[in-house]
Amino acid sequence: MAVKFDLNEREVWDGNYAASQALRQADVDVVVAYPITPSTPIVENYGAYVGNGYINGEFVMVESEHAAMSGCIGASAAGGRVSTATSSQGFALMAEVLYQASGMRLPIVLNVVNRALASPLNVRGDHADMYLGRDSGWIQFGAFNAQEAYDLALCAFKVGENHSVRLPVMVHQDGFITSHTAQNVYPLTDEKAYEFVGDFVPVDDMLDFSRPVTYGAQTEEDWHYEHKAKQHKALMDSRKVIDEVFAEFKEITGREYNRVESYDMEDADVVIVGLGSTVETARVAAKNMREKGVKAGVVAIRCFRPFPYDEVRDVLQNAKAIAVTDRSSPGGAMGAFFNEVTAAMYTSESRPMVTGFVYGLGGRDFSIEEAERIFAEQQAHADAGHITTEIQQFSGLRGPKLGFFKTARG
Amino acid sequence: MTEIRWHSRAGQGAVSGAKGLGDVIATTGKEVQAFALYGSAKRGAALRAYNRISDEQIFNHAKFMNPDFVLVIDPALAFTDNIIENEKETTKYIITTHLSKEELIAGIPSLQGKEDRVFVADCVQISLDEIGRAMPNAPMLGAFVKMSGMFELDYFLDAMKRVLAKFPQKIIDGNMRAITRAYNEVK
Amino acid sequence: MAQELNLLATDNRGQSQLEAGMNLAGWDEVTQGTVLTSFEGDATGIANKKAEERTYSDFNSYTASVASWRVQKPVFNRDICIDCQNCWVWCPDSSILSRDKQMLGIDYDHCKGCEVCVEVCPTNPKSLLMFNEHADLEESLAAWPEKKKKEKK
Repeated sequence: MAVKFDLNEREVWDGNYAASQALRQADVDVVVAYPITPSTPIVENYGAYVGNGYINGEFVMVESEHAAMSGCIGASAAGGRVSTATSSQGFALMAEVLYQASGMRLPIVLNVVNRALASPLNVRGDHADMYLGRDSGWIQFGAFNAQEAYDLALCAFKVGENHSVRLPVMVHQDGFITSHTAQNVYPLTDEKAYEFVGDFVPVDDMLDFSRPVTYGAQTEEDWHYEHKAKQHKALMDSRKVIDEVFAEFKEITGREYNRVESYDMEDADVVIVGLGSTVETARVAAKNMREKGVKAGVVAIRCFRPFPYDEVRDVLQNAKAIAVTDRSSPGGAMGAFFNEVTAAMYTSESRPMVTGFVYGLGGRDFSIEEAERIFAEQQAHADAGHITTEIQQFSGLRGPKLGFFKTARG
Repeated sequence: MTEIRWHSRAGQGAVSGAKGLGDVIATTGKEVQAFALYGSAKRGAALRAYNRISDEQIFNHAKFMNPDFVLVIDPALAFTDNIIENEKETTKYIITTHLSKEELIAGIPSLQGKEDRVFVADCVQISLDEIGRAMPNAPMLGAFVKMSGMFELDYFLDAMKRVLAKFPQKIIDGNMRAITRAYNEVK
Repeated sequence: MAQELNLLATDNRGQSQLEAGMNLAGWDEVTQGTVLTSFEGDATGIANKKAEERTYSDFNSYTASVASWRVQKPVFNRDICIDCQNCWVWCPDSSILSRDKQMLGIDYDHCKGCEVCVEVCPTNPKSLLMFNEHADLEESLAAWPEKKKKEKK
């Protein structure tokens, strides 16, 4: 019997602590980890909960992130509720094994505290690691603050373990900005949280000796394609389950989550589309712009994978000019997020103007003032009736103005 | 929205101080934010910690702020760090020093003309006397409570006891004395 | 069985090349996560059952034959064998049939003719020897060599 953990109705937690409390409340059986800044406290705290008797789980320390995810796969295939955390270089080393987890349909929950990828070495937040995981077949949720890192971790277990989903889930939060910023967090009671997440009901578990199974079979060109298609369909179909889980979560907490979040969008002409903590900063800027008479709104992606194309198109189709913000060095293309949003908007009747901003690399600050400037620039596009700048721009960058790709429209 | 910027060295407890302050303020029903700017810093490296306090949920995640209070808990940083960065005309400074206010301001040109907004307390000496270690964060909280007028001292001490509950009684008592002394001594 | 169901990669190398590939299960029919069951039905206690009594599933490699891979085959001579089980330990394809520590012979459905069993056989002459795939059993046994005499040092 686990020792009771005293919780207050209102806590002041940072994102890491909030995520680790979610792991405790979900009664995670196994955490296999190789800690890395800035996500270290998540697994460190879980280890302390085990050591101090707050949870009947197992903390397995391994020699690399590759081994950490491999261990998670073993524990998950064996039939346990499994989670871990990582960031940046650790995430990159894990990359190979991420595909194994999703391919084997193992509902592991990975808390990713987003951090830039070297080189140059940097411990601060950008979305390079999150983008690296975008084709890995995992569900990807984005938290914008500590409360959401906690809430979404609980939802992640419930979504991933649903038998019609059976997919691993990443819960992303921004390194330092969210992970190390303490804010008011309103946790559920242990009983309520566990009741929401529910018991782990295994599928094809290796410890079921009445039905021995093989994990990790080899398939060549005769079978691989069908398996990947089935997996992709499961990921696309998970959208319905995600909506149901979010609805259930709202019922018990009053806190509403949507795969696409929108703020001040009813009549918005100019929009910033963002991911992560930036969204909240942009919301403040949108409010300020509205006081100046600019109809500004913000659209945020809560569920980066499966990507919500329909919802993005629906919420943005009446906008005039849209700025999509990519917090990852695009490596010879437009930003990946820009491409997603633009693909969605291409199927709309209105086809609003879309430009992309690379910003915040390596933790570079994104201020309210800068968000206001971006809104003003979108208003200038809208007034001119065409994109007046290059399509890819760089926000908050020192040196001569940098930009790429020009529109051929009007 | 009240915004606070801490100037400190790694190991002096600015991050814990900012989080402790956030913890206490949250008990009054306000929304708080506490974060810090440090990298792979070693003990002694300069760092900055921040608090935001508001009646509504805090959405601003920018590091940039125009602080209402600047709390300097390392005596040397008052001279070497740009403590007036992004200041407002009303920004209040509480600085740890063994010097008198006049001596301190004489040595820091950027503070001249702001005499009515600069306050001093010897948080390092107070912590040495009362806690036995140079941990100027707790006394700085006492000085802040006095200058901000945000709480009654007794309310703050009670709330701080809960934040420090995991520490031995001796440490808690020392912190209480340090907070109280700084509250009374800041000027 | 496996061959009848076209389950072997080698038999259906790409749909565009072989019409037979079109008969395979589609994406909606493959197993979740490529997780493959070894046995049909409840397998509780199956480790204590002999291979021929087990309800191997079509996914199990036991139901696939690699007999055609062999060019030469090992032949077993019961008269010489001392049941040391050395070949059983070494065989990489579990093709030595042994029951109650008694050597019975070769599982020719799964033996690939690698010759490891012959190599590790300690008897003199060996109890396992390689013969051509088409060689007759009686003729092979009749051609078995004599015991080699120890060379004097």
